[in-house]
Order: sequence, then C-alpha cells, then structure tokens
Amino acid sequence: MTPAFLSIRSLRQTYGSVVAVDDVSLEIPEGEFLTFLGPSGSGKSTTLYALAGFNEPTSGDILLRGGSILATPSHKRNIGMVFQRYTLFPHLNVRENVGFPLRVRGRPEREVARRVDTMLALVRLDGYGDRMPGHLSGGQQQRVALARALAYDPPVLLMDEPLSALDKKLREEIQIEIRRIHRETGVTILYVTHDQEEALRLSDRIAVFNRGRIEQVGSGRDLYHNPATRFVASFIGDSNFLDAAEVRAEGGRGRVVFPDGTTVADLPVHRSTEGDGTLPAAQVMVRPQSLRLAGAGEGLPVRVLDVTFLGDTSTVQFRTAWGQEIWMRAGADDIAALSPDVTCDVSWNPAESHLFL
Amino acid sequence: MLLTYHRLGGLGIALWAITIGVCLFLLVPIIFIAALSFGSSRWLAFPPPAWTLRWYQELAADPRWLEAALTSAKVGLLSAALAVLLGLMASFALVRGRFRGRNFLKALFLTPMVLPVIVFAVAIYALFLRVGLNGTLVGFVLAHTVLAFPFAVIPIVNSLEGFDKSIEDAAVLCGASPLQAKLKITLPAIRIGLFSAAVFAFLISWDEVVVAIFMASPDLQTLPVRIWGALRQDLTPVIAAASTILVAFTLLVMAAVALLRRRISR
Repeated sequence: MTPAFLSIRSLRQTYGSVVAVDDVSLEIPEGEFLTFLGPSGSGKSTTLYALAGFNEPTSGDILLRGGSILATPSHKRNIGMVFQRYTLFPHLNVRENVGFPLRVRGRPEREVARRVDTMLALVRLDGYGDRMPGHLSGGQQQRVALARALAYDPPVLLMDEPLSALDKKLREEIQIEIRRIHRETGVTILYVTHDQEEALRLSDRIAVFNRGRIEQVGSGRDLYHNPATRFVASFIGDSNFLDAAEVRAEGGRGRVVFPDGTTVADLPVHRSTEGDGTLPAAQVMVRPQSLRLAGAGEGLPVRVLDVTFLGDTSTVQFRTAWGQEIWMRAGADDIAALSPDVTCDVSWNPAESHLFL
Repeated sequence: MLLTYHRLGGLGIALWAITIGVCLFLLVPIIFIAALSFGSSRWLAFPPPAWTLRWYQELAADPRWLEAALTSAKVGLLSAALAVLLGLMASFALVRGRFRGRNFLKALFLTPMVLPVIVFAVAIYALFLRVGLNGTLVGFVLAHTVLAFPFAVIPIVNSLEGFDKSIEDAAVLCGASPLQAKLKITLPAIRIGLFSAAVFAFLISWDEVVVAIFMASPDLQTLPVRIWGALRQDLTPVIAAASTILVAFTLLVMAAVALLRRRISR
C-alpha cells in the first residue's frame, strides 16, 4: 500500500493503566483540512501532540511523505502549530514573533523581512508589526500565531482548539479567515475541536473521537446522514433515541416494534450482525427535524409536554406511551394546534432514521 | 457585616495612631544614626551640638573601610550570581518537574530562610574548618549563596509559574532547540523574576553579619563585619557614618529596582 501524504498507523498512547489513544489510524492526503472532533478526554489532543512530538506514542507510527517522524525531535519536524492558549512571545513584537522561526533557521535578514510582510498580509495584520502581544486582542493574537506557524512553510499545520478562548462572533469571523488561508496556502491542516459546528464549517473531513478511538471518518454530510455509531449520531447534529422492544434486521434494513406496540419498518441498520433474532438493546435514532405530525393511528402516539416558540422554528417536547422524551423541530404554523397535554401521533420517513443494534 | 473604614469612628483614629507608631518605630533608628553621623559630638550625644563631615573624612582616610566595602560588593555580586543560577535550575525542577518528594525539596530549599542563622553559621564554620575554606572569598561566597538561595528561588518560582509552558513549546515547534527556547524565550519572559532574585540575593549578602563574622579573617572583612569590629573597639561616630553609607546604598539599590521594574513591565 502506498502511504498517503500523512499517515497515522495504529497509534496507541497509554499513561499507566489509562489508555488515552487506542489504535488510531488515519490516512491524510496532501492539502486536506481534517478535523479531530470529540469530547474532552477523547484522545484527539493527545493524537495531535504525538504529531507535534510533545509525547512519545506507546506504539504505532506516524509517517510523513512515507518516512517515520517519530525519531525526529519536535524542533526538527518542521511542523506548524497554533495552540489553544495565547503563545506569542511576550517580549517580542509582532514582526519579531513571526520572524522568530526564520531567524532560528538562520535565514538572511532581508528574506526574513520579506517573508514577515507576506505572512502579515496573509492574516490581514499589515501595519500591526510593531505592536507588542499584550496590546493585541485575542483574535489578533491567534492570527499572529497563525502567521508565525505558517512563516516557514510547514508541510502540516496543527491547530489545537485555537478559537476556544474567543467569543462566538469573533470565532466565526476567524473560521472564515482560516478557510481562506487554507485555500490560499494549500497547507495540510489537522484541527482539533469539541465544537461540531466549527468542525462542520471548516473541514473537508472529520474524524470523530470517542474514548481514545476514532468512531468514524468522513465528510460532514456523511457523518450527519450516515452515522456509523450511536455516538456519532448523538454528537453530530441533534438527535432523539427511541428504545426498541423487538427488532428484526435483514439485508441492511430493520423492522422495529416499540414498547407501545407501534411498528416501523424499512429502517437502515448500523453495526448490525446482519443475522436475525431479537436484540433488546436496540435503539432508533430520529433527527428532530425529521419528525412530522401524523393523522390519528398513522404514527407513534405521543403526549405533548411543552411547546417552545423560537422565531424561525419552534420545538415541541413529547413523551411516548412508555415514558421516553423526544423533541421535534417544526415551523410555527405546523404546530398551531399543539399545547401541553394534547395527544397526537408523530411519524417520520424511515429512510431518514437509523436503527442501531 | 463588613468592617469599612469610615464606620470605625474612634477605632479608626486608633488604627491611624498605630500605623504612625509602627512607621516611626521603623524609621527613627535610621534617621537617628544618620543624624549622629553628621553630628560633631565624639560621644554620640543627641541632639548633636553642631554639624560636621569630619567622620566621613575619617572614614575615607582609612583604607580598611573602603576595602571592606569592596569585599562586601564582591561577595554580594558573586553570591547573587551563584544564587540566581542555582535558583533558576531549582525553579525549573520545582515548577516543571513531576517527581516524588517535590514538595519536600521545595520546603528544604526554603530552610535557610527559617533556620536560626547562628546555627547555620556554626555548622558551616565547622565544615569549612575541615576543608580550609574559612577566611577565604570562596568560603564567604558559598556561605552567603546558601543564605541568599531561598530569596532567589521564591521570585523565580513565582514568575515561572506565571509563564505558560505552551509558549516555550511554541518556540520549540518553531524550530528552536529546547535549550534555545529557554534562553531566547523563557528567560527574557521571566526577566523581572530573575532581576528581583538577583537584587534580593545581593541585599541578603550585603547586610549579613552573623555568618560573615564566622567567615571573616583580619584580611577579609565585609562592611557589616568591619562595623561590628570597630564597634567593639570603641564607639566612634565613624561607625555611624559607615552605617549611614550602608543604608544609603541599600536604599539606592531598592530605588533603582523599583524604577527598572516599572520600565520592564511597560
């Protein structure tokens, strides 16, 4: 097998009896924007740090252009990184910060000056060269950090939740900047975040981390429409999970009987053993916006708990006959007749839901 | 209920009186000795019958005083340099290290601050007697380095704790070796701490007398030792003059520090 541009192979990282990263493998083509998405402690940052060389993997390998980088110390890996915290050198001004990696490499002053100008223009901070880091806003500091990390043309840029300290509006503004810079430079970016919206907005592909493992890798659309596991389904987008009382799965499609006797057929099955038999732990996942109101006796009977008006949309909270709570997102007009304690039926297109076994 | 100052009434006035009393208690002896050094009375009478610079002239005329001052400066500077260097390495271990006994080590490093000085002085005198370091500059510097060490460790540890290790990591990823990153990024970033450490360490040595008396020889005396020695021979206003110079120099260093710190932190 020809290795990809960047290849992570069976990476494993343990600290004593704690397994932080468990058999993570990824093939990353040149120029890709790949995001590691997952809750804190899922192993995404640890994987990134292994690439940076800040921790030594217990086993596994990382190959860049076909050669292992594990034996190379951090400062010789030529990898760029933007950190979660502000890491500009406090005693150097913006120009000196961006020029630092070039001066360390012994590049001539004229080249350093030229390159610093180019980088500051790239992050749209021309004219800020003489400012000290302490006199910059958080967003400006992270843009300088980005310019510094890209100044030496690294093959790979690592970004460890670089926007988590910024407020939402600024975050979205810089996300657009990062997209543009990725387009303009074509650098391969590995981006860590726990914010699914940020991951969806930025990435070509997303690797969803959970408990040290990758649950699924794919484009945002893939993950949303075809989640491979319950975890991915619950982490990407909003979701309702309904317990199934009885399940029959055959040929990738499933038929479910809910505890109240309602039957739904033709559900796409995930992680199925493709056999038959009754599997009690099965759950059906339905997105809140897939739910529709149905005529009496044509869907799943539910009782309305609460209706919330949110402007463009409204949400309705239901309780099923066996006590599970689910919610629906709908237009304001669709639900005019609903109020707490009303009973009604809800249904959905089975193809838009998923049966997890 | 919170105790706010304007609600205290009579008690507030009492607090003012206590504050003024404490300030006077700290300042009066210094002012007193300075006044005596300019007084004409050989018997240190107060208030002085007339003013004179005679004692300062006598001080300048005696080469032993100048020699003592130079020795003080030499011992102070060397001890400060050594204490800061060792303190820096110790601070990296205490702040960044993850090893058993770290807290114990931290406490141990601070013992010279709380150990009765006389106990330390006797102990180190006995030790140096065996290795022949008493009465030498090396012995003097080593002994004072021990005393100054905790005063160097405290500000360096504080500034290193306030310095985000990620900044050093960023320098390493930028291509600086771990040592380069420390020299070019970490040390300049904690320079206020290093500077405070150097000044504290110097001042500890500069006015230290107990250990110094044990370390000194007739040829090697620091200013405080010389003052102590002169005091035992006879009570002359020259001592007041020397003491005033000692205090004035200390105040000068403190003022310089305050100014420099303000400039650095800007």
